Amino acid sequence: MNIDWLSGPLLQQLNSGVILLNTQLQIVYINPYICRRADIQLQNVQGKDLFSVFIDAPQAWLSRKLNSVLSLQSPAFSSWEQRQYLFKLPHLRPVSSANQYMAQNCNMLPLTEPDTGERFVCLLIEDATDAYVYQSQLQQSNLQLQQVNRLDGLTGVLNRNYWQQQLEVEVQRAERYQHPLSLLFFDLDKFKRLNDEYGHQAGDLVLIEVAKLIGSLLRETDLFGRYGGEEFAIILPDTPLDGAIEVARRICRRVADSPIEYQLQLLKTSVSVGVSQFSAASSAEDLIQQADLALYQAKRNGRNQVVTYYPELANSLKKVNS
Amino acid sequence: MTDLSFTEEQRDCLQELINVAMGLASDKLARFLNTFVHLQVPAIGLVNAAEIPTQFRGQYQGLSSSMISLGFFGDGGLRGESILLYQLDNAGKIAALLGYDDDATSEAEMLTDISSILTTTFLNGLAEQLDNSFSYAAPRVISSRDNDFIGKLEQTAFHWQLALKVDIRYELTDYSFDCNMILLIPGEAVMKLKTILDNVLAEF
Repeated sequence: MNIDWLSGPLLQQLNSGVILLNTQLQIVYINPYICRRADIQLQNVQGKDLFSVFIDAPQAWLSRKLNSVLSLQSPAFSSWEQRQYLFKLPHLRPVSSANQYMAQNCNMLPLTEPDTGERFVCLLIEDATDAYVYQSQLQQSNLQLQQVNRLDGLTGVLNRNYWQQQLEVEVQRAERYQHPLSLLFFDLDKFKRLNDEYGHQAGDLVLIEVAKLIGSLLRETDLFGRYGGEEFAIILPDTPLDGAIEVARRICRRVADSPIEYQLQLLKTSVSVGVSQFSAASSAEDLIQQADLALYQAKRNGRNQVVTYYPELANSLKKVNS
Repeated sequence: MTDLSFTEEQRDCLQELINVAMGLASDKLARFLNTFVHLQVPAIGLVNAAEIPTQFRGQYQGLSSSMISLGFFGDGGLRGESILLYQLDNAGKIAALLGYDDDATSEAEMLTDISSILTTTFLNGLAEQLDNSFSYAAPRVISSRDNDFIGKLEQTAFHWQLALKVDIRYELTDYSFDCNMILLIPGEAVMKLKTILDNVLAEF
């Protein structure tokens, strides 16, 4: 059977774009798929330079690719994953997306006219908008999942797991660059009594509000996490001990000065804070233990105050244990 | 069980065809890049695809390297996947030669462009020698800058039976560029390739 008639209707109805260029990158043919989407007519663009018709196309890069196809007689490709589109064309996808242009995969093929031997390069353009949109949604969801995975559900500060990972990172950084690093551990005073008197909803509200208040006192680079129950921890990178003590005092004062309103009552709260400082020999666990010991001492000293770790605290612990 | 191994004649024949294909490729690249390109006679090795990851573990371990895949289909059931491996340091040199230093092209795009130029010029030459022609799938970056290079190579090689390992050294006027090309070929295509090689041999 003779199938010479086939190419005409196929090019007319093909659900992909076809652009044929000569060696000067002038348009020889464009199929209706492209003409309709770009709102151009073949007879008006035939013989014109590709980049004078598609003025937004990446000229330097694309002409280099097309010339490589002509010169090497090897095909070239462009994927939406690396370059979302070559030509600004609308898409007809029912998916809602922020991108208004069709994401495209493009094959660039070397062609030779069999009778004259004249050479051409053909661009085959496929709509990859669906893949693009799904990929973007997937990335977005992954990002959200990652966020959720790192945060404490109630207070929105870092969860213990992620906070501890970050502490390891910061300890290594401090070690490598010999930067100071301090740690704060704090605990809401008499939180159990608050829960018992006003109920867990009040307790939750206090945790949320105190976390919010303290978050507002910190720098962007400080790492604020919920260590457990009513216990929180803050990593202060690039901060020597005196700076950390100042931050701790400010936190203490602000919490004590900011009663929280719950069902028309003002709940007075306070925190006790323990401070420790990274030194060459200490590990992340040492830092945590020292801040925790200092916090324990702040509680014993009567709460609503800051205590900085000192080695005798460790000895007192040993005495208690023995 | 079908024997996928090559006879000595078949192997020599393939080496010869690859040499010619490399010659064609270097000629085309030289014209395109406007510089002298010399491709050494490539060392080829036919190995079980499962052994490939082990073979490259030492060579690329700990280096910032990139792995790009390109699928190819020919007539008569000849098909496979070509993997191009190279160090990213080398990619920079080729990129400069191709004129990539002047615009904001992403690294992934640059790597796939380089790979498809290097791979398709060679494979087109090889297809010509086999009296065939190849069509290609779009290149994919399988791995770049990540530590799981060998793991990804293992996953890729798993699907294939035979691997034709071609070590290529591109020498340009000012510098040389080493890379490894691996042609991964499925069992049935290996049988086709053997038949094709026998036909080529019969013609001499």
